[in-house]
Amino acid sequence: MAKERSHKAQIVIDRLGKKLNRQIVGSLVACVHCGNCTDACHYVLANPGDPTYAPAYKADKIRSIFKRHYDWTGRIFPWWVHAKSLHTDEDLEELKDIVFGKCTNCRRCTINCPMGVDLATFNRMARGLLVSVGVMPEGVAVVSKDQWEIGNQMGVLKEDYVDTLEWLTEEMQMEYPKSPGIPIDTVGADVVYSINPREVKYDPRTISDAAMIFNEAGENWTMPAEDWDMTNFGLFSGDDDLGGGVARRLYEKVVELKGKKLVISECGHGYRSTRCEGPNWAQHDVSFPMESSVITMINYIKEGKIKVDKSKNTEKMTFHDSCNNARSCGLTEEPRELLNLVCENFQEMYPNRTENYCCTGGGGAMSMSEYTPQRLISAKVKADQLKATGASVVVTSCHNCVDGLADLIKHYKLDMKVTQLVNLVANALVIDKPIEVPTEEVSIPAAVTPVVAEAACLQGYKILVADDEPDFVTFVSTVLEDNGAEIIKAYDGNQALELARKEKPDLMTLDITMPGKSGIEVFEILRSDDELADIPVCIMTGKPELRKLIYDRAVKPPEGYVDKPIDEESIILNIRRILELAKSKGK
Amino acid sequence: MFDLEFARGTLHDIALAIMMIVYFIRLYWLTRFTAGKERQAPTGRGDTNPRKGFIYSWGNVGMPWAMESTRSKLFLYFQFVIFHLGVTAAIILMFSISFYFKDSPLPPQLALAFKIIIGAAFTVGVIRIIRRIGSKYIRAISSPDDHFSLWLLTTWFLFGYMAAPNNLAGGEWKLLTFFTMGSFFLIYVQFSKISHYLYYPFTRYYLGKSLGRRGVFPIKRFQ
Repeated sequence: MAKERSHKAQIVIDRLGKKLNRQIVGSLVACVHCGNCTDACHYVLANPGDPTYAPAYKADKIRSIFKRHYDWTGRIFPWWVHAKSLHTDEDLEELKDIVFGKCTNCRRCTINCPMGVDLATFNRMARGLLVSVGVMPEGVAVVSKDQWEIGNQMGVLKEDYVDTLEWLTEEMQMEYPKSPGIPIDTVGADVVYSINPREVKYDPRTISDAAMIFNEAGENWTMPAEDWDMTNFGLFSGDDDLGGGVARRLYEKVVELKGKKLVISECGHGYRSTRCEGPNWAQHDVSFPMESSVITMINYIKEGKIKVDKSKNTEKMTFHDSCNNARSCGLTEEPRELLNLVCENFQEMYPNRTENYCCTGGGGAMSMSEYTPQRLISAKVKADQLKATGASVVVTSCHNCVDGLADLIKHYKLDMKVTQLVNLVANALVIDKPIEVPTEEVSIPAAVTPVVAEAACLQGYKILVADDEPDFVTFVSTVLEDNGAEIIKAYDGNQALELARKEKPDLMTLDITMPGKSGIEVFEILRSDDELADIPVCIMTGKPELRKLIYDRAVKPPEGYVDKPIDEESIILNIRRILELAKSKGK
Repeated sequence: MFDLEFARGTLHDIALAIMMIVYFIRLYWLTRFTAGKERQAPTGRGDTNPRKGFIYSWGNVGMPWAMESTRSKLFLYFQFVIFHLGVTAAIILMFSISFYFKDSPLPPQLALAFKIIIGAAFTVGVIRIIRRIGSKYIRAISSPDDHFSLWLLTTWFLFGYMAAPNNLAGGEWKLLTFFTMGSFFLIYVQFSKISHYLYYPFTRYYLGKSLGRRGVFPIKRFQ
């Protein structure tokens, strides 16, 4: 008697047939189980003795379904070729844990397969099938929803996005009064610059650094006020409809603005999605050129539009290739060329380029908190690679990699920091004209420094710092006090709430994991309390898996979110941004 | 009557015909799936293109240095080369005996060449059987078809080695077994993993074309 099948399992099987194309079928039938891919996978290397991480093993979990329903031998003698159908929702959950939790779609096994089997492509297909029946990690669901509904994957509202750009313009103009800042929605610009929402939310310095470079180059550029997100969660979720929809929105925005070229900020999956896969998903031929900002910056230097002084970046640096850039877009030489132009001491990492190991945060892994423990175990391979370089800075051209690398650096206690090329170029930028600054300080030398806080810029603000790590509280408090803020300290959740009620601070920094009430509980209580709901909150956590807090729509999301480890500059920049935006909204 | 004459004549022809028919059905089946189209403008290095990409991809099999997985395991790579040379030699031997040396032994030098290649392939087959059973990783991904196909070919090599001189002096059982197994192999191949030879040009073509367009293939390595 035929085994009963759940409704969802039946849909997955039916839709599998519609997803198959010649490339995918080729990859599904060609594997000879030679095992050559095994050592190519960072999950295998970090979990010796566990064959369930082997690419061929994982691939077979998808292949077995195909064989059972489409392959001749598999249909007649399933046991002979390990063909197996899906029957229950538990089968789907099991498949979910493999395709989302044990593979970052980094494609390293693909380039090491003698048969040319492209596991990453059909793993993505399997993700898409599961997503189509609602079986996916919670983070994938939340981020996809935000990208569908709000237009960007971090749910940044238009008002907050534009406020941030305007605030950054004001910051730039305080330092350089003649700076045009960040032009928004300029029609007919030569360059339309698209970014990752992470830049607005956590790392606005990358936007101001890029703006400084564009302006110094005399570029006629703009940023769209809407449909500006070049990232695309469709790549990770396997949802081609989402992928196509997101890509099309951006393409149409460039056309609407009559932009001549789309420049994509440094982001591996964003670049791949927008530049390479987007036209395929959207079934849309793009009429304008698209390029990575890395290439734009190289051209500015080569054409003499900007001058750089590499002696501004003296630390020993290594470069991490994003999987999407290197193995799917061929962007390997340009970042190195640029790095060599703006830094003095570059140390290559081995293996590199197309053979580089994943940062382990790829494939959307950073948004799938349930798989964080195994992700961090697999990160040992990358950690060893980083350590062997002896570098103090790892440079990458990908926002996802920045988060993945920062996380593993913290986990494996490496003495390194992560940065991007745009930051290094901005730091190395030489500006010939004298810089006017609205302070009484001595004039700044003819080179630009990153956006830095003026002394006492937080004067008059009362800030509550809540964290159970005394060293961290001391560090943050010192930084904020040095800049004029009045500090209140709390070391657990209950104390944080009590002090918030008593002191009514202008801003609160909040750790997530604290004794007593957790940061999540404190945050929800704050937001639900009419008197406290408007206190701006900046999450400072070493637990990136708790990002979902940001996306939790039950209460208004926090105004800021910063990953630990955190440096002085980031603290000031983020706190100032939140306070000034709050002030402008009349809080 | 099932004898050597039948095995190297009628049976062989039937097996060959079935193989060819199924081969074309397989090809037809595969080409019924639409090939995905790449709309993107080329990326990556300017010195490559889809054509260079797929040529490189096809040639990959002869470039052990091109992939880390072969570069770092040269012993496995040479096993692969010997094993596939053995398959080719055994097939040629079968055809040679069927069509050219039906009634006479093979020239000694030719027989020796077959013995060396097929004998080496047999040795590799044994090593591969041990690896397939002994390695936890390979065992976990092996189906009955994987085991059977390997045993089938390795045993066929053994009989190919013994049958190579095409000399009936020691009894015809060696040749009879070699031809019978060979015919079974020809029929079985399209229903098993051995059919990978059919898909190889397609998978590598499409991967190479796509990665050539994206400036990834040919891979350039820098140390």
